[in-house]
Amino acid sequence: MYMSKKLPITRLSKFFSNEDFDFNLQLGKEYLHGDLNMTLVLYRVDTESTDTDAVYAEVGKDQIKFFPPIEFNALVKIEQPKNSSYKNGTVRYLEPGNLTLSVYIDHLQDLGIDIRYGDFIGYPETEDKIRYYTVSNDGRVTSDNTHNMFGFKPYYRTITCVPAQEAEFRGV
Amino acid sequence: MGYPKRKNNVKVYQGNELVERRQELLDKITQGDSFLPDSVLHDDLDLGMLDFVKQNFSVLSDGGQVPIIPKILTIQRWGEFTNTWDFADLDGNPSLPFIAVIRRPDVQPGTNPSLQRTIPDRQQFHYATVPTWNGTQMGADIYKIPQPVAIDITYEVSIVCTKFRDLNKFNQIVLQKFSSRQAYTTVKGHYVPIVLDNIEDNTPVELDSRRFYVQNYRFVLLGFLIDDQEFEVKPAVSRLFLMNEFIQSNNYEKKYLTKNLEISVATFTADGLQTVFSVGETMGILFNVSINGLVQERDIDFYHVALTSKITFVEPPRENAKVTITYYKGRSSVFVDSEGNVRQVSTEYFTYDGSSLSFTTINNIDSVISLDINGLLQEEGEDFDISSGTEITLKGTPRIGARIGVTYLF
Repeated sequence: MYMSKKLPITRLSKFFSNEDFDFNLQLGKEYLHGDLNMTLVLYRVDTESTDTDAVYAEVGKDQIKFFPPIEFNALVKIEQPKNSSYKNGTVRYLEPGNLTLSVYIDHLQDLGIDIRYGDFIGYPETEDKIRYYTVSNDGRVTSDNTHNMFGFKPYYRTITCVPAQEAEFRGV
Repeated sequence: MGYPKRKNNVKVYQGNELVERRQELLDKITQGDSFLPDSVLHDDLDLGMLDFVKQNFSVLSDGGQVPIIPKILTIQRWGEFTNTWDFADLDGNPSLPFIAVIRRPDVQPGTNPSLQRTIPDRQQFHYATVPTWNGTQMGADIYKIPQPVAIDITYEVSIVCTKFRDLNKFNQIVLQKFSSRQAYTTVKGHYVPIVLDNIEDNTPVELDSRRFYVQNYRFVLLGFLIDDQEFEVKPAVSRLFLMNEFIQSNNYEKKYLTKNLEISVATFTADGLQTVFSVGETMGILFNVSINGLVQERDIDFYHVALTSKITFVEPPRENAKVTITYYKGRSSVFVDSEGNVRQVSTEYFTYDGSSLSFTTINNIDSVISLDINGLLQEEGEDFDISSGTEITLKGTPRIGARIGVTYLF
């Protein structure tokens, strides 16, 4: 539950303060955004403008409306592709692996965006090939120790994305 | 405007009925060039199922038709790949949605009700009696075929898509088609029933993976095998159409002057009325015709059309007259005997001057076909002899000045 008034975090104050948190965050961002500079494109779905099916709330091909795409930085991890089949070993397909992003919460706040379940993300694999993913876990819940810096405050989100087919999304 | 009151000539059912319909069905299964039905084997049934799906399960989605993989998919990777590349994405994966027909490899013994009571040992049964005629022989062939082998083939028609509405449309089409649980496909003119066995949803439900629907419709095709290798064609009763040309003479004889050349002498006894005499075979070369040993002149005393079997006299020979026809059956002027020697015919004439009864021919005589004195045929051994290779000696003495004609082979 969000509070109307801010409550200062004073835990670990003997060893770790807000300044330390900001300093560590700055170091991390410098490494991720400056050194690694892994850039992705976020296609946020405009849920209000998109016409959906009256019964099933589905959308057809090319019917999703998007906000303007935004570039953002994140730590990218792509799993190995899976060799699968639609039917008992026939109609085989090579499923690209899931995309796992680690993105600083502070970075998203700077850009004034949120990554939500169902949004699409483009990751340029090569100069002329971009692969699209859809967010299957937006990592909004960051209450666990992993996402908290020394138990002080959450500082990043882990976002899981699954590959999107052309029938779902093929870029804007 | 009211409805017409008269009900005459209203044909409720537009197609053929009863026997005509049966004949129509029979015509369909024997469209080939034989009287027997074509083979119906596994691949024909598979093709029938595939055609059925293509014709009946057409679904529109997002303004386009959901592609149906045009072949039955097997485990061969190459075959599968070639059949999906029309709607593949950049990774070579088939794009959704699509419909696939997959056959279970195991074909089970059939449950088609019309073939339940089978007779063991693959006995042959009468299928048709087909009349035959080869120009001489008229008969019939009996066509027998064994009872078709009933088989059940299970197919899974799968739709893979991302929209619930596509599933609904496909389901609606299938259930409407199979409202009575079965439908029919046509395989080489045979109606083959297809039964909707089961519908199941195999949609993978995982949170962190791509989302799509997979629904399987299991159909059982109640087919049967007809193998033309098992057909039997046996001749039945044959009637031989024989035409005999009867010679109107009670005393017909035939002998060979020289068997290795088949120079024949046919002898008839005239009845006083008959003018036409037939030797019963084509006369290639007619050497002579005589009545009571007297040689007759062609186109004066008789007529003969070349390469026919008949002699037609201008006037009928007298009753009991002996008519003799000497001819060669072959159709060439070059005689080749059965030993391969080329023989030729020569006719020479001599005049008896009273000095010698021996006459010398130009060529070495192989055999004498005929010898006449003033037109009267003489018999070898009785009236003359071949005394040496080129010499003929008469046994009797003719009148001085008589003309002696000899026709011989050399």
